Amino acid sequence: MSLTALAFYLFASITVFSGFMVIASKNPVHSVLFLILAFFNASGLFLLLGAEFLAMLLIIIYVGAVAVLFLFVVMMLDINYTEMREGFLQYLPIGALIGLIVLVELIMVVGVWQVAPEIIGTPAVAAAPDLTNTEALGAVLYTQYIYAFQAAGIVLLIAMIGAIVLTLRTREGVKRQNISQQNRRTPQTAIEIKKVKVGEGL
Amino acid sequence: MVEWLAGLYGGTDAAWFFSIITWILVIVAPLLVGVAFAVYADRKIWAAMQLRRGPNVVGPFGLLQSFADGLKLFIKETIVPAGANKGIFILAPMLTFVLALIGWAVIPWGEGAVLADINVGIFYIFAISSLGVYGIIMAGWASNSRYAFLGGLRSAAQMVSYEVSMGFVLVTVISYAGSPSLSELVHMQSGGIWNWNFLWFFPMFVIFLISAMAETNRPPFDLPEAEAELVAGYQVEYSSMAFALFWLGEYGNILLMCALSSVLFFGGWYAPIPALDFIPGPLWMIAKICFFFFIFAWVKATVPRYRYDQLMRLGWKVFLPVSLAAVVFYTGWGVAFGYIGK
Amino acid sequence: MSDVLTVLPELILAVGAMGLLMIGVFSGDKSYGLLKWLASGLFAVAFLVMIGSGAEQKLAFGGMFVTDAFALFMKSVVLTGAVFALGLSGQFMRERGIARFEYPVLVVLAVLGMMMMVSANDMLALYIGLELQSLALYVLAAFNRDKLRSTEAGLKYFVLGALSSGMMLYGISLIYGFTGSTSFAEIAAYGIGSGTNGLGLLFGLVFLISGFAFKVSAVPFHMWAPDVYEGAPTPITVFFGTAPKVAAMALFVRALIVSFPDLTQQWQQVVVFLSVASMILGAFAGLMQTNIKRLMAYSSIAHMGFALAGLATGTVDGVQGVLVYMAIYMLMTAGTFAVILGMRRKDGLTEDISDLAGLAKTRPALAAIMATLMFSLAGIPLLAGFFAKLYVFMAVVEAGMYWLAVVGFVTSTVAAVYYLRIVKLMYFDEPNENIEPLKDRGIAYVGFVTAALNSPLHLLLIWPLTLAAGLAAQSLF
Repeated sequence: MSLTALAFYLFASITVFSGFMVIASKNPVHSVLFLILAFFNASGLFLLLGAEFLAMLLIIIYVGAVAVLFLFVVMMLDINYTEMREGFLQYLPIGALIGLIVLVELIMVVGVWQVAPEIIGTPAVAAAPDLTNTEALGAVLYTQYIYAFQAAGIVLLIAMIGAIVLTLRTREGVKRQNISQQNRRTPQTAIEIKKVKVGEGL
Repeated sequence: MVEWLAGLYGGTDAAWFFSIITWILVIVAPLLVGVAFAVYADRKIWAAMQLRRGPNVVGPFGLLQSFADGLKLFIKETIVPAGANKGIFILAPMLTFVLALIGWAVIPWGEGAVLADINVGIFYIFAISSLGVYGIIMAGWASNSRYAFLGGLRSAAQMVSYEVSMGFVLVTVISYAGSPSLSELVHMQSGGIWNWNFLWFFPMFVIFLISAMAETNRPPFDLPEAEAELVAGYQVEYSSMAFALFWLGEYGNILLMCALSSVLFFGGWYAPIPALDFIPGPLWMIAKICFFFFIFAWVKATVPRYRYDQLMRLGWKVFLPVSLAAVVFYTGWGVAFGYIGK
Repeated sequence: MSDVLTVLPELILAVGAMGLLMIGVFSGDKSYGLLKWLASGLFAVAFLVMIGSGAEQKLAFGGMFVTDAFALFMKSVVLTGAVFALGLSGQFMRERGIARFEYPVLVVLAVLGMMMMVSANDMLALYIGLELQSLALYVLAAFNRDKLRSTEAGLKYFVLGALSSGMMLYGISLIYGFTGSTSFAEIAAYGIGSGTNGLGLLFGLVFLISGFAFKVSAVPFHMWAPDVYEGAPTPITVFFGTAPKVAAMALFVRALIVSFPDLTQQWQQVVVFLSVASMILGAFAGLMQTNIKRLMAYSSIAHMGFALAGLATGTVDGVQGVLVYMAIYMLMTAGTFAVILGMRRKDGLTEDISDLAGLAKTRPALAAIMATLMFSLAGIPLLAGFFAKLYVFMAVVEAGMYWLAVVGFVTSTVAAVYYLRIVKLMYFDEPNENIEPLKDRGIAYVGFVTAALNSPLHLLLIWPLTLAAGLAAQSLF
């Protein structure tokens, strides 16, 4: 077995395992940490595919930023585990039924999946071997998909406006630092000089 | 570098493997010794600026102080608090330490002298440094202590905030280099000090250096461990070797940031004037790392700690808009005058 | 460059929204009134640019975006609905202290998303447009963030909306997987799929339709509508009831007609089911309501059922019926909500139907407007709502789907009960002197204009409307 195959099975099996543990862990913080492990191994799989740019972005964006905030929130939540479990049995039958239906559907769909014969055996390679994949991605993202790219930017803008609209409150009675005001202070405005008589104090 | 040694070993798969292991050792072993001396230098510089003498008992001029400290920590007992989440508690310092080391894989020491010259080198380092936050946040949470938890949360928010402006700085420099490979970034600065990036990207250089301090939780941004308010933050419950690993990881990260600053802005392995190029690249790199480390120590000794809201303000209200504007300005300039997209 | 010209109306809205945001950020909430006018102005400019660039089919960005007569028609309806919603949101928002500058900005961005939905010619563009719209709407639903019902509405809409987006994405990925493309044209060219691949395509299609059904609130994906209608601030409910429904219906029609012409037989069954279920549930559940906003939610569910009946035919006439229906539905809904916003007692706004008792004696003008709109919603002959239903059911009968038409007639008779009950309440019950005179001119204008357009006066306009709808429908086939 070559080194690449070994790496593939390592990354793939850890991804699947940690994916399973995300839902199986009793402690939500562990779930998030397993999720991060899954992201990390998924980026390893990207590397094996030769998509090193995506691999790095997956870590920088998902692991480095999104999951940190996620972990942040989960750690601060005060979750009552017993209460969470109470409704479980009550909803189990209907949940299992829906799960079963979806499973059957998935099997039906995957069952009829025919991989085009000419694809088998052709490895996934970059379309232009002389381009690095950063360049290759940039070339389509800013030309062919500029519309979707810009629109996605507006989606993020809305998310930002939304977060501010729904959560920003100007609280009364909070002292705020005003740096220009601080810088404008001079000895004349800030201190008062008094003659103190010897032995008497103020 | 790896190929060359693998060739010497015989060129088989096993030879490749051992070649890589050898080079890792060649990089990591001096690095760890370097970390020990960095701690010593840090304390010495700090002391000198405060007109103290600093460590001066163990060994000549106190040179062996760090080793003595290390040994002391090594032979102490590791205490896991009863309420701690054991697995994560033990994992956190190891993670911090490992992440501080693996970043060095892509740092170029000279022409071709790099363990892994991957073409997304800068993103790799960025990814590794963004992973660093997990060591701290896991330690903070797993300790099951309020001080530690507060420290962990502070650190998470701080590192995420400063990564953003750091990313924009990297984008600017990369766009001029035309490649995110660290070797390419050094190549664009060949030909003497007037070609080095810190001159042409001065505002970005300043933002980068300050963000690097925030990323590594160095003073004046050492809020996660602010001893005056949080005792020692996320490290509060750690003792012996686990504590030492945090400590090594922290200084490893600082040195990594120094190395990255040299590569991005100070011409990497190149000499300041081409006439001095006969001195080997690795020596120049080490000299530059020392220079940046001195700046880090200098700042630590002289600047008072930021308050948390000031830290956030600096990150989001000053650095983010400035670096964003600089990206637009520099890339616009580069495209207009043909520096980009040659 | 021609790409940019094709999306010029959208570009005006996008850049305009950012401009409005800047004005708002620097001058604060006191710019609310100004921003509302500027937003309406943006809609007007976008509308004029759109009309000016004509109705011939133009593709942009590699076929991701399309403008044609259909897009022109639906975008005009969307823009009109948005202007009505803005016009109705003066006094109400101020009184509740939620006249914040973000409101007009979010409305403009939501409309931008709707226009992108209407013009989407690719699954990717479809999804992004839809998310753009939905995200803005989630925020708008929870806009009165200190009120429990409003935040509940926002949260419910968000959770269920995210679920439906997930289903839709799953459908899109299946469709992409089996056809190998996200472009509508190429999916259409793929046809019904060879052999067993067709089954996978069909699964994708069903998931896609579920997502659409959620957005137009068709049964069985309607459960969010009553709660969100009731919980959201009323001017925002006006917006919810008009523009997004129109845009989602446009998306529904274009995606099915353009990208799955060969699968008509298959999707017809699903759409017929949605249509029948919506008509029945909307008609019967509406009978029990005492809150007029909830009543309007069920009424809207029923109306979506009628409109879907037109789509179910899969013919040009059917689509024409849908277009006419959506345009008239938008007018009726906007007008009814104008009256609801005018239902003001001494202690504030009321949503109780019983407070309308005897309105004809105390506020005859308001009662007349309401009565016209109620008759129109019920589909009484000679009013606009009648013609809307007429066109749809003519198409249905022509397509030979007699039983669908029968269900439609029966349910519209049942639904008429609750509309007529309101008219009876206003004209024949003892007045309880509850409703105060109108103070907001926006309400009066919108109420009057929509009532006039729904009254028999509309006979002057119905001919150009159907003509335009016919051309628009033609452009899809």
